[in-house]
Amino acid sequence: MTEDQPRDDHEAQPDGGHTHRSLTEGATTTSTLREFFTRDHLPPMESVQRWLLTTNHKDVGILYLVTSLFFLVFGGVLALLMRIELLTPVNSVLSATGYNQTVSIHGLIMIFWFLSPFAFGFANYVVPLQIGAKDLAFPRLNALSYWLYLFSGVLLGISFFQGGSFEGGWTMYAPLNVPSYMPNIGSTTTVLALLLFVISVTMSSVNFLTTLHRMRAKGLTLLRMPLFTWSILLTVWMMLFAFAALLAALLILSSDRILGTTYFTAEGTPGSLLWTHLFWFFGHPEVYIVFFPALGAMAETFQTFTGRRLVGRKWFILAMLLVALQSFLVWMHHMFLTSINLEIKTLFMATTIGISLPFDLMVFSLIYTMVKGRIRFTTPFLFTFGGLLVFIIGGITGVFLGAVVLDYQLRGTYWVVAHFHYVMVAGVTALIGALFYWYPKITGRMYNRRLGKATFGLFFVGFNLLYFPMFIAWETPRRVFDYPAGLTPWHQLATIGGFMLGVAFLLVIWNCYWSLWHGEKVEGNPWEYATTAEWAVPSPPPLENFPGVPSYDSGSLDFLDETPEASTDGGTAVAGDQTHESGDHHDSHASPWPFFIGVAALVFFLGLSGISTGGIYPALTIVGVVFGAVSLLGFGMESFSVTEPELGERWPFEGIENGKLGVWIFLASDVVLFGAFIGSYVFLRVGYGWTDWQLVPHDPIPGLINTYILLTSSFCIVLALVAAEKNSRWGLIAGLSTTLLLGVGFLVNKGIEWVELFHEGIWLSSNVQASTFFLTTGLHALHVILGLLILLFLIPRAINGAYLDDERPVEYFGLYWHFVDIVWLFLFPLFYII
Amino acid sequence: MSVTYGLTTRVATVNSHHIELLLQANGRTMNDVFSMLFGVFLILGTAVGIVVISYMVYNAYKYRETPDSEVAERERPQLGELPQGSGGGKKLAISLTISAVIVIALIAWAYIVLVDVEAGAPESEDPLEVQVEGIQFSWQYEYPNGHTTNTLRVPEDRPVTLILTSGDVFHTFGIPAYDLKADAIPGQTTETWFRPNETGTYEAQCFELCGSGHSAMESDVIVMEQEEFDQWYAETGSETNATTNNTTDGSATNNSTANDSTATTTENRLLDGPAPERQLAATTRQ
Amino acid sequence: MTSTKLYTVIYVVLFGFATAQVALEFMGLSYAVAVAGILLLSVIKAVLVAGYYQHLLYEPRSVTYVMISGLLTAIALTFAASYSIT
Ligand code: HEM
Ligand SMILES: [Cu+2]
Ligand SMILES: [Cu+2]
Repeated sequence: MTEDQPRDDHEAQPDGGHTHRSLTEGATTTSTLREFFTRDHLPPMESVQRWLLTTNHKDVGILYLVTSLFFLVFGGVLALLMRIELLTPVNSVLSATGYNQTVSIHGLIMIFWFLSPFAFGFANYVVPLQIGAKDLAFPRLNALSYWLYLFSGVLLGISFFQGGSFEGGWTMYAPLNVPSYMPNIGSTTTVLALLLFVISVTMSSVNFLTTLHRMRAKGLTLLRMPLFTWSILLTVWMMLFAFAALLAALLILSSDRILGTTYFTAEGTPGSLLWTHLFWFFGHPEVYIVFFPALGAMAETFQTFTGRRLVGRKWFILAMLLVALQSFLVWMHHMFLTSINLEIKTLFMATTIGISLPFDLMVFSLIYTMVKGRIRFTTPFLFTFGGLLVFIIGGITGVFLGAVVLDYQLRGTYWVVAHFHYVMVAGVTALIGALFYWYPKITGRMYNRRLGKATFGLFFVGFNLLYFPMFIAWETPRRVFDYPAGLTPWHQLATIGGFMLGVAFLLVIWNCYWSLWHGEKVEGNPWEYATTAEWAVPSPPPLENFPGVPSYDSGSLDFLDETPEASTDGGTAVAGDQTHESGDHHDSHASPWPFFIGVAALVFFLGLSGISTGGIYPALTIVGVVFGAVSLLGFGMESFSVTEPELGERWPFEGIENGKLGVWIFLASDVVLFGAFIGSYVFLRVGYGWTDWQLVPHDPIPGLINTYILLTSSFCIVLALVAAEKNSRWGLIAGLSTTLLLGVGFLVNKGIEWVELFHEGIWLSSNVQASTFFLTTGLHALHVILGLLILLFLIPRAINGAYLDDERPVEYFGLYWHFVDIVWLFLFPLFYII
Repeated sequence: MSVTYGLTTRVATVNSHHIELLLQANGRTMNDVFSMLFGVFLILGTAVGIVVISYMVYNAYKYRETPDSEVAERERPQLGELPQGSGGGKKLAISLTISAVIVIALIAWAYIVLVDVEAGAPESEDPLEVQVEGIQFSWQYEYPNGHTTNTLRVPEDRPVTLILTSGDVFHTFGIPAYDLKADAIPGQTTETWFRPNETGTYEAQCFELCGSGHSAMESDVIVMEQEEFDQWYAETGSETNATTNNTTDGSATNNSTANDSTATTTENRLLDGPAPERQLAATTRQ
Repeated sequence: MTSTKLYTVIYVVLFGFATAQVALEFMGLSYAVAVAGILLLSVIKAVLVAGYYQHLLYEPRSVTYVMISGLLTAIALTFAASYSIT
């Protein structure tokens, strides 16, 4: 296949993988079901069905917002429990483990289940509108992300009923996190809930990246994007890589908990340091991941309510870009007290200070924007303004922690607790501003202004009353319930502040609820000086957002006719018949499968949590697998059509269609996942003594044979694709089937090898060498199995004649399969030869 | 207990002694440098905070919309325009430079101090070396003569080097009164030192969440006169092989769940020392 | 047809290199040299598969950069973490 000229970008493209609307399956049960479930029209907003079926980005955005606010209340109740406990310097209300669970789950919920999804509610709702897209690139995948997020939260809730939830803090330090120290099933469930959450995040990242890079309106070059959109773009890039590292950490932890591998308890090797590396490699970018959207919201509201364009806009963007890149190079500042060496401490101190400077720039840029403005102190502005103010305090106190000597002393104390709340809850404050800012857009009604301002007053006072005393009482050790009695008054003040802040949050929610019915109606744009495209359409916007094709070609926003003549003289040539086709083409907006897959995932992971204890757990796992398989099949067979915009800015990904770009981006995160696994292996091996390490397989020959097998299968897939392009149905089928057989051969060969090792008494838990060998190659085998399942889906369809006119599914599968092959090319020497 | 709490007391206790110490070339402990360094950071941090926040609030007030604000005084953003910025690069660059200078200067200074603290106790002063092991939920100290105990006794005015590890999970050892802190990590050793300069009883505490007994993972640190210490130490030396009874005098709070694993992992610690005896020590703590 | 030929040649090379990796192990070279050689062969194989089988050479260059940044991320983690061990 020669790919010099880009493939045609402009035809209708399903996001699931198959293209034919008329299927030849006949009246099987699945197709009856399919007809039953397929909807051309969304049910109305008032019906529950609508919310279960919708794939529209605005609906999904609302779902994210509502769900995350629910988790805010959940996490807030836990926080207040802690504050009540801390009223006295001795243990009073909660049990010791109860307190530890409260601390841990509060942190986990606020960071993962509240803050990020809250920001992503706005990202879902606003970003497509701002860039001029009808929806995200893969709407069904987006709905799936949401359901996985929701059900991961449900799973977290369930963990409390399984003998107690996780008790080791949100940082989950090893080896406290393994069963010998934390045996209850609930902690496994917590880990799995987080794992499920990460899967959801990864899909979101791929989706948003594809959308942001490929679906911008004409004239909206990357640099021209609104700042909120910019902040989301950088957030998702960070998410893609950072969460892959967390995924690795969590997979290893799950395996240590369920399968009994010994990564984090590895004796003589720094197993517990391994966790800190993996966790903080994710953890520091995560700090920016939760804060960037708030920063973007600040920039938007500052521009609107000061009536001034952002000062130093380009520098602002550049600063965010720098921070995003550098965020991956500062993680060891969380490890200054560990046994890492002085050179590396120095290096990470330098990078840490380096990363604080771009933030100075952003803060100044926001402040200077107010100068010569016409500032209107509306509720949204008050909140973002207040957010910036407390963020400044958070930033200054962070410099203290960057100075290693001070960090030595401040670490593990309330200085840290105060600092990160000043930073993170500053983000929350700004996002509450964003909530009020976009509320009229989302609901078509104005919030209650007086209540809004009053709430801000309470919020701001409560915030500072809660967190400022923590600086003063910084000598309190973190995560303890008994502290030096001399500090009691400060903690009591903080508790009062905590309740004020809690009430303020409830008032925000109440305001949003009340105004749904009683708020004054808003037509389009209630904000003078707002510039971005979401304000140029009605509130709330219609299902497909725009009255025409948005374009900035003329220098400002226009809506062109749906069948633009412009497209023929533009740079992108559109074949006539396709223009015609997409002219009367309807996009789908509903699918039941994401919801079902979410339910299946919940059942499956719940089953996994206790699978080694027997009981109903194995049964649950099986139910989850079966139900999941059916749902995935349904998802794959559903005809769901989405149009790619015909015109638009796509830098730097012109000449590659959305689906393929999505696959590549996903593979990039998989590179980091495997990279982190290999990195863990290298780390443990270096710690152990590189050459003292014994390889687990006795001889490299089975590995070599498997290398041959995989290489051959890669070759077969290439041939299959060539055959498909040449319209050779049997060539295609032969290629795919041979690949399938080779894949099975690979697994069988591996199985024999493993069984032999088991017979010799070498098991996953034997030692750290065996653990790394089985788990890393096992993860690879899992990838092979997934590939085979996809093949099982592709082959019958190929037999029915699919993929000849449109071989893209085969090509995408090939990308994945070759990637799995490449991974093996490294695992083989690492685990078998050197 | 001569522990000072709170920010203000902390800064107020900074005196000329600290300044002397800051200029001293080496042999400084965390305790010598922390208060001063922290004080300077606090003062500068507060100053910067006040300046920036006042400037911000002042401008917000000054440019607030009033009924007579000039609407057309300058070009305002338009709905649907391509996002763009409004100049101001120079002003930004200047502000950034100023803050960068402050931050980098502070950090550079802190770094010099760091290198010094990291240098460890001066060998010339013959530091006392104590091995510290964190075990859910107590601290164990082992002296060069093999004596093991749950209370850290040290002589006044002689440097003490602590070599830390953990017998089970990740702990962090800290003596707030001496501004001392270091992680205790299973399978790893870390080192820190301090110079006890006032007799009395202080508290050591765990600073990393380590399980149900974390809040109560404390132990006494007793700073004694040199002679008193020598006397005590000599006694322990003579009963090296029967030290386990000493372990009851600590504030060991025990939780029974992890004790089995404690006893076994103790054998695997990297610290050297008579293993059987240590194992005994761990078990008798029940 | 030329493309099929190219794919076949690459396949043969890949096959040969895999064999060579194991051969290197038994050639009695010094450990460092052998490791370097083996890893180099892996890298070349990976580049061949990515470049031709996955058509990375024919996609927009930016796709390659995305993959490289993923790789750099992983390498940064591996090296810095291993280097920090005392
Ligand atoms: C009503 C508002 C809140 C109150 C009263 C509150 C209070 C607390 C308290 C008392 C702790 C325990 C500190 C410790 O012992 O380690 C804590 C920890 C924490 N909070 Fe909050 N918090 C609130 C809101 C938030 C929000 C909005 C976030 C995040 C966006 C957040 C994130 C965290 C995190 C990450 C921890 C650390 C948990 C850990 O280290 O294990 N909190 N909070
Ligand atoms: Cu960090
Ligand atoms: Cu502890």
